[in-house]
Amino acid sequence: MTVPSTDENFTVRHVHPAPRDLVFACLTTPDHLTHFWGPTGTHTPLENIVVDLRPGGAFETTMVNDRSGDTYTMRAVYVDVEAPRYLSWREVDSGVFTEVTFVDLGDGTTEVVTVQRGLPPHMRTPEARAGWGTALDRAATYIANQGSST
Amino acid sequence: MALADPTRVAIVARLAGGDATVKELTEPFALTQQAVSRHLKVLEEAGLVSRRKAAQARPASLEVERLVEVLGWIDARRREWVDRHNRLEQHLRRLDGERRPRGQRR
Repeated sequence: MTVPSTDENFTVRHVHPAPRDLVFACLTTPDHLTHFWGPTGTHTPLENIVVDLRPGGAFETTMVNDRSGDTYTMRAVYVDVEAPRYLSWREVDSGVFTEVTFVDLGDGTTEVVTVQRGLPPHMRTPEARAGWGTALDRAATYIANQGSST
Repeated sequence: MALADPTRVAIVARLAGGDATVKELTEPFALTQQAVSRHLKVLEEAGLVSRRKAAQARPASLEVERLVEVLGWIDARRREWVDRHNRLEQHLRRLDGERRPRGQRR
């Protein structure tokens, strides 16, 4: 399996107040996912979540907008599953790749590191391909600093 | 990677302030025209810079809308994950409360 190794869009780190096994279970079990998956303002009913936890297995969620009832479906396929320390999936429509690493901090808490790579096709040129996100972030920061320092 | 190179990032920053020709770009960066052209070509292929075909000097323009679109999409996705982790933490705290009820809960 070829996995893009560079060009991160972003990394999000969060320390959770729970042991690693439980945090891993939360991100891989529909009964847990339904409580927190959808962005604020949406919910993800239990029956809208598919988790086939194995490489090549499906990971699908259909989020429902609380107000309008509009739905948004994320279809992905697991790339690697190494319970309870690592999980990755690739979105079917966009090719966007997400990896989640679970670090046992040894005091009953768990750091979860989420990395996303790649851009949807309509934002890619054939030459630019998978996520020049980090570089763009740097450019944006650079430009912002140029602006503020003058 | 179009913007992996600091010179290209600097060229983008320069173009953010207005269009510039290859010649105008050589001066602040102490580069040859060939070197500037090479960098511009990479930025053009990434869709970040466009160049007017007709004009003699072919000034380069930053594709601001594209830059904003991509940065906006990435930022929205990042915020989605920050939000998701906050809600996961709340979920974990609720679970902990249910496992270890203290005091007289109801």
